[in-house]
Amino acid sequence: MSKVAIITDSNSGITQTNAKELGVFVLPMPFMINGQTFFEDIDLNQAEFYEKLATGADISTSQPSPEAVMNLWDEVLKEYDEIVHIPMSSGLSGSCQSAMMLAQDYEGRVQVVNNQRISVTQRQSCLDAKLLAAKGMNAKEIKDFLEADKFNSSIYIMLDTLYYLKKGGRITPAAAAIGTLLKLKPVLQIQGEKLDAFAKARTTNQGKSIMINAIKADIENRFGGDTEDKHIWMQIAHTNNEEAALAFKEEILEVFPGYDIHIDPLSLSVACHIGPGSLAFACCRKINV
Amino acid sequence: MSLQKIDAKMLSTMFLAGAKNLENKKEWINELNVFPVPDGDTGTNMTMTIMSAAKEVSALGNSADMESICKAISSGSLRGARGNSGVILSQLFRGFTRRIKEEEIITIPVLADAFDKAVMKPKEGTILTVARGASEKAKELVESGTEDMETFLSAVIEHARYVLSQTPEMLPVLKQAGVVDSGGQGLVEVLSGAFDAFQGKEIDLTFTAPVSIGGGVSRSASLEAQAEADIKFGYCTEFIIMLNKTFNIKSEMDFKAYLESIGDSIVCVADDDVVKVHVHTNDPGLAIQKALKYGALSNLKIDNMRLEHQEKLFKMSEKENASKQQPEAENKPAEPPKDYGFIAVSVGDGINEIFKSLGVDYIIEGGQTMNPSTADILDAVEKVNAKTVFILPNNKNIILAANQAAELTTEKDLLVIPTKTIPQGITAVINFMPEQSADENEENMIQEIANVSTGQVTYAVRDTVIDDKEIKKGDYMGIGDKGILSVGTSVNEVAKATIAEMVTDDSELISIYYGSDVTEEDAEAFRAIVEETHPSCDVELQYGGQPIYYYVMSVE
Repeated sequence: MSKVAIITDSNSGITQTNAKELGVFVLPMPFMINGQTFFEDIDLNQAEFYEKLATGADISTSQPSPEAVMNLWDEVLKEYDEIVHIPMSSGLSGSCQSAMMLAQDYEGRVQVVNNQRISVTQRQSCLDAKLLAAKGMNAKEIKDFLEADKFNSSIYIMLDTLYYLKKGGRITPAAAAIGTLLKLKPVLQIQGEKLDAFAKARTTNQGKSIMINAIKADIENRFGGDTEDKHIWMQIAHTNNEEAALAFKEEILEVFPGYDIHIDPLSLSVACHIGPGSLAFACCRKINV
Repeated sequence: MSLQKIDAKMLSTMFLAGAKNLENKKEWINELNVFPVPDGDTGTNMTMTIMSAAKEVSALGNSADMESICKAISSGSLRGARGNSGVILSQLFRGFTRRIKEEEIITIPVLADAFDKAVMKPKEGTILTVARGASEKAKELVESGTEDMETFLSAVIEHARYVLSQTPEMLPVLKQAGVVDSGGQGLVEVLSGAFDAFQGKEIDLTFTAPVSIGGGVSRSASLEAQAEADIKFGYCTEFIIMLNKTFNIKSEMDFKAYLESIGDSIVCVADDDVVKVHVHTNDPGLAIQKALKYGALSNLKIDNMRLEHQEKLFKMSEKENASKQQPEAENKPAEPPKDYGFIAVSVGDGINEIFKSLGVDYIIEGGQTMNPSTADILDAVEKVNAKTVFILPNNKNIILAANQAAELTTEKDLLVIPTKTIPQGITAVINFMPEQSADENEENMIQEIANVSTGQVTYAVRDTVIDDKEIKKGDYMGIGDKGILSVGTSVNEVAKATIAEMVTDDSELISIYYGSDVTEEDAEAFRAIVEETHPSCDVELQYGGQPIYYYVMSVE
């Protein structure tokens, strides 16, 4: 049986410490603050990041350098036969494209998964990959499995403001047009490639119930209903909003009793595009193996 | 010898006379409104509705047959319908004309049957109760073998009047305000005007333009009607009295009665210290002399309407030509329709801007002071290039007209989201989700508007008692979704008390849209007060620019 390593990037929300516990490898995403390069969870933590964001620092993200990617792969391949590489959604970043190109030089030993996930659902893909590897699948089989499964996930994010999204230009025209005069809390959705406007709310409670109802509808219409076996993973993510996330968990449990709900802070490279105070509700269908 | 039957020509005359009589009593009917708010009134709405039909009927000339007259009455009033009372009136006409259009001559049994067909399920104490009363009486008279048309009509109208007089006993809100139902009164005026014509009374069929703010469909209708008819009173006389002594309800009624004795088309609106007067008379001097007893006069304007008659006809044909040319100029290559479009009825530049920023395609100017007609709504629907159009009436008195427009719309789907206030409309459009189906959106929006409570602050135009609250003319009132929430003499105090009535433990957001009569400074000061009083809520202040309502507020 081939020995398969799972690699993802820090957008999955998996910290370096978590990575060791889970037995996966995490490539830190670089971002530039006032011209200086930092690596998430390496030389800048969440608290420092939000401090800088609040002061209006000029923050931008970029994809990991090819050198960093190949160095990690080379290092890992000393110990493993194959790699399953799960980068953030190709709809949101060029990292996936670059990785696929770099992988061509590895004669199939590195399989790059293009399953359009981000944050908590990307994290779940890593856990799934780990499970599949343990079941004896090789890297190619895992890649194919995960790509076939890509649409079995859904994320809704309620933003506190549209300011950061507009500033970063990372938003479709439809989403940018909303909420010009009134203070609105846009709810965005990530389905596959696109990050787009889903709905608008005037208050936090409205926004939360929009997200709960949306997930409920997805479960019923796309994921086979709310069955006894709880075959759905549920996740909450947030940007510097942990208290609200914990309260949201209780509210979700009232609607979906008995589910395990994982809470993660959103990775910083997502946070710098949507700003602090956001709250996300996601779900993915459990894989069937 | 009295007539026993009504032919097409007589029907046409009777209808026009009924319309004219309603128009004459318009201002008076307006004052029967229960809420003493300065807003779109029953008399004006019913008059504009019937004028739209009168225009089509008079355009047919003298030799039209029964069927075309019926069609003109029915379609003219349906399209021109505005306000709840106007819409109900148009539906009464439709039911009525459906029955008689197949006849060449209307007999008593046909008439009784037509009355019966017109009646809908009534809510006690409204125009519908009066209509039902008339219909029941008609049936009774037929059964008892009444053969004389004049006796028949007279008895029916007398009974309608009696039912009208009983409306305060059926609706406590009328009784408390000390008025009869205004829509019912309107119907009685139409019937008695028609009866006068039947009896052969000389009736002046000069229609004057209804006093209106904005809107336009029926204005030109009445212009044409006026141009077509002879002018009985030659001078249009307008002025403002700057009062130097008290002008109470009694003096107002006396003055109006005097004006009625020398002319018609009377408008007499008293504000704090001025009275605005408009009358058509052959002797403007008499009106001026009388007015001088109450104070000094300003803004005098006297026009000879007989001389203007020719000019008007000229202008009308000019206007018609212009409107014929316009569509060609606007002809653009057709773009494919989008899936969803939005129409909102709105007033105030700030609120219009908010609706536009939320993606509303077309704004119909109107609302409290001017209810758009079914035809205005149909025009708007025409202009929105979408397969499904949602309309937000944003006023409870416009919902019926919108529903009627929805029934008359064939090429697109027009869905009425029954928003009763501007904040409900804003919430509805915010909750629209482009990726969901029209039905899902409709359901979702209707559900969301139930979570918004609205309070609007305006002033009282007369003394009354409502919801056990005594209101004096000039007082400020906070009107909520289900009645008066607060009354007082300070705008801010009333607005503050209104919000206090609306806020609950679950409230999160208070939105305040300030009107054109409030300065930004005052509005900001008011926001500060609200923030201090309700620290657990977010307070959002926006410029609304709406007239008459100082503050439109919502809590959700």
